[in-house]
Amino acid sequence: MVLLSMILLPVLVAPFAWIGEKVNRDFPKYLSLAVGIFLAFCTAYLIVKYPGNGFAFEEFYRIYPPFDFNLHLAVDGISLVLIAIVAFLAITVTLSSWHVERPGAYFFLILIFLGPMVGVFVSLNLIWFFIFWEFTLVPMFFHIGIWGAENRIYAAMKFFIYTHLASIFLLLGIIILYLSTHTFEFGKLLNIHLDPSVAKLVWILMFIGFAVKMPVVPFHTWLPDAHVQAPSPISVFLAGLLLKMGAYGLLRWEIFLFPQTSKFFAPLMAFIAVLTIFYAGFRALAEDHIKRMVAYSSINHMGFVLLGLSALTAAGISAAVYEMVGHALVISLLFMIAGYVHHKTHTWYISELGGIMKKIPGLMTMFVIGVLAAVGLPGTAGFVGELTVMLAAFDYYGWIMVIVPLASALGAGFFMWMLQRAVFGPLREEFKNLATLKELPLVENIPLAMYIAAFIIVGVVPAIVFNLYNPVINTFAQLFQ
Amino acid sequence: MNINYLAATMVLALTGAFLPVINRLFRISGIQGALISSIGYIVSLFLVLISGEGRSVLKGFFTTDPVSILVGALVLVSSWMVMLVIYWITEKDKFVNELISALMISTAGALLLISADNFISLIIAMELMTMPTYLMVLFAFDDKSFEAGVKYFFNGALAVGLMLFGISLLYGMTGSFEFSALVKNLFADPLVALAAVFIFAGFGFKITAFPFHFWGPDVYDGTCPGVAALLTGISKSAAFIGLMRVVYEAIPVIAGHFPLILAIIAALTMTVGNLLALAQKRVSRILAYSSVAHAGYTLVAFAALSVPLSATGIIYHSVAYVFMKTAAFLCFAVFLFVWGARTMDDYKGLGKREPLLAALFLIFLLSLAGVPPMAGFISKVFVFTAAVDAGMTWLALVGLLNSAFSVAYYIWIAKQMYLEEPTLERPINDSPNKNWILLPLAVMAILLIIFGVWINPVVDASAVYAAKVGF
Repeated sequence: MVLLSMILLPVLVAPFAWIGEKVNRDFPKYLSLAVGIFLAFCTAYLIVKYPGNGFAFEEFYRIYPPFDFNLHLAVDGISLVLIAIVAFLAITVTLSSWHVERPGAYFFLILIFLGPMVGVFVSLNLIWFFIFWEFTLVPMFFHIGIWGAENRIYAAMKFFIYTHLASIFLLLGIIILYLSTHTFEFGKLLNIHLDPSVAKLVWILMFIGFAVKMPVVPFHTWLPDAHVQAPSPISVFLAGLLLKMGAYGLLRWEIFLFPQTSKFFAPLMAFIAVLTIFYAGFRALAEDHIKRMVAYSSINHMGFVLLGLSALTAAGISAAVYEMVGHALVISLLFMIAGYVHHKTHTWYISELGGIMKKIPGLMTMFVIGVLAAVGLPGTAGFVGELTVMLAAFDYYGWIMVIVPLASALGAGFFMWMLQRAVFGPLREEFKNLATLKELPLVENIPLAMYIAAFIIVGVVPAIVFNLYNPVINTFAQLFQ
Repeated sequence: MNINYLAATMVLALTGAFLPVINRLFRISGIQGALISSIGYIVSLFLVLISGEGRSVLKGFFTTDPVSILVGALVLVSSWMVMLVIYWITEKDKFVNELISALMISTAGALLLISADNFISLIIAMELMTMPTYLMVLFAFDDKSFEAGVKYFFNGALAVGLMLFGISLLYGMTGSFEFSALVKNLFADPLVALAAVFIFAGFGFKITAFPFHFWGPDVYDGTCPGVAALLTGISKSAAFIGLMRVVYEAIPVIAGHFPLILAIIAALTMTVGNLLALAQKRVSRILAYSSVAHAGYTLVAFAALSVPLSATGIIYHSVAYVFMKTAAFLCFAVFLFVWGARTMDDYKGLGKREPLLAALFLIFLLSLAGVPPMAGFISKVFVFTAAVDAGMTWLALVGLLNSAFSVAYYIWIAKQMYLEEPTLERPINDSPNKNWILLPLAVMAILLIIFGVWINPVVDASAVYAAKVGF
């Protein structure tokens, strides 16, 4: 019942956020915080009780067995890590949205987003995975469209139509897979030998769906718009959760299910990954818009995730999942601070910023820490993630992956150049007497501190993450032998 | 036909027939009329639900199987909700009881149509369903509705004429109207194919399949939206089921040649519907063209008629469609009545003005777009699974792409309602009991979500049907 309650409870209490706003304006945010803490407790319980390997806490709700249309929930180490991110981000995003306008509708949408989000990561039934997957679009559409920046409506429409179109390919892949195997169950699909040509078709169709969500070049164009226009806490959800859905889906429903086909397509994945890393790196270098730059660096990191997955070894997949965690923590911090910078200086453009370190040293120190983590400073999650991914890629693809560290240097380049232009240097005249340019209130600092603490802990003691899922990945990695 | 099912039809038709009489005698108010008709609906619904058991009458004309019980019950529920909304909107009109009367008789016709297994009873049921709607389309008594009424009447007459011609060809070959006799005596023959073309053309008008779709949007747009809800939701769903019975029970011999033609018609219907819907400015026309597109999705399942899943697809899509389309038009009707909102520009900011109604409208639109967990999603999954299973992956891909592009105009309405600033300042009809009218719509939304997750009733009924027609 734990997993079902994690999916249903947020959705069921969501209407109370909307109704509660009329009674007390503060009620919705406390409700959302309570749900976040509930999710955190559930996750903690699951992590403590998790036996160490394989699927645990299985829940099976019969709906229509002849079509395998049953709600089958279970977690393994990988899902656990991801629902831990869901719970963590639920709390931090709620705290970051403490002073949002129209809190009733806002937290209503957050709550109906969280339930299906957990569902995506714990569903072992492919059609239910898709149902949860697709439903998350609706609350995100309204979040971007209602609370977003100037160009929000265009971004929201583009986000919805683009990602829905991608899901159509995923759905077609699911349908073809079902008709060839007559099952939606992960466990059954794992043991079925599919005709190679069908497997390739299904693999490609599903990959399009996942690749758009991740996103990788050339399917990434929705992301900069959506991220830039979304309010910062929602950018955190987009980067921290929505993108992970794509990577998780690729791992769970393609790489684990079709190891041989994935092996066939591994060079393609690696090529796309390297392309993504470089393309996003160069775009970030050329970008003057600070949040758009962070968005491209987010795509750049997802390229590392795909590179790790494409290595198809225990080390590579394990590194990719770690990189997902690191990305969720680091990029979330950067998005939040980029949003605050705009809020305080009323400009998005790096060329119009300068020297704001002098006015808001606290916030900018956190920004610098976040940037260093994104660049891969030892002692942070970014370092461990990129290093392990690169090692796994060298191991699998050989010397050709020598070019990847260059991209890492590129990442360091665009971030440091941005810091030099925007944060350090002499303070610009117009900021000297700007009343809005001051430190954040405490409640908005808490989530930022939480991100920093989390990525430092995870970076210094990577074992706490690796130990959770490494046995699982080792078991699956035998499939690739 | 089961005796209870017949009684249900009778109760409904007679309640409808006597409603104007009661009004003449006692001068009933709107709420009393709604109560009387609701009693008729409840009794009829109860009788339909218990028609699994009991004596059988009119054998060879009508049949009662799980499909007719399921779809019949859902048609009744939707028609009931249409009735409540129409009463609420047109309470002050002195002919409202006549309108409801026609609605109930037409619904009785729909109930008969979904259980007809004889061409004679099929034609009679279809005319019983259609005749009252000729009157209803004219109800608004303005120029547009006259144009719509004339267009509707001539197209309807043409449809029946074509269908009768096809049926007479079949009768000439076999000497029988009964589906069970036809299926035994027919063989693949050019004349049978010709008859099938004529019969399909007749149904094509009813379900607004390309190239017979031209009248649809004009009529749905021209008449009052409550009537459009009946025409596009209930009548069309019943016609889907009627066509399904003809194809599977009477002339399955066409399965050899027709799938490709049906597939092309399906692809054209949904593409034309979606493209034209994208170009519209009036919400009623968007909904009308989306209804054309949905006829295309159902035809995808018809094109896959060689596999048992196609029956599931047709039935599931009819079930989902009757709720979502009827309810979407009812939402439009309420918006039109309260705010006078017709065009996309009028819809700006209505989400702020009417949060609950707009939320319900959004649920129906998302269901039409095929977003889970509403029934519109799972019905599309069945339809396209059937197409892939029948070896028409290209058709499934065309359908899915269409479905993805159709999201653009559904979400456009959502965008106008929620993301834009309001343009309409004050309602033209501010009714104090406005929240009551949300109840029927909320019922339909909840049923839509239940049928989107709990697939058993529909799938079981269609499994029984598939076994009956011999898959």
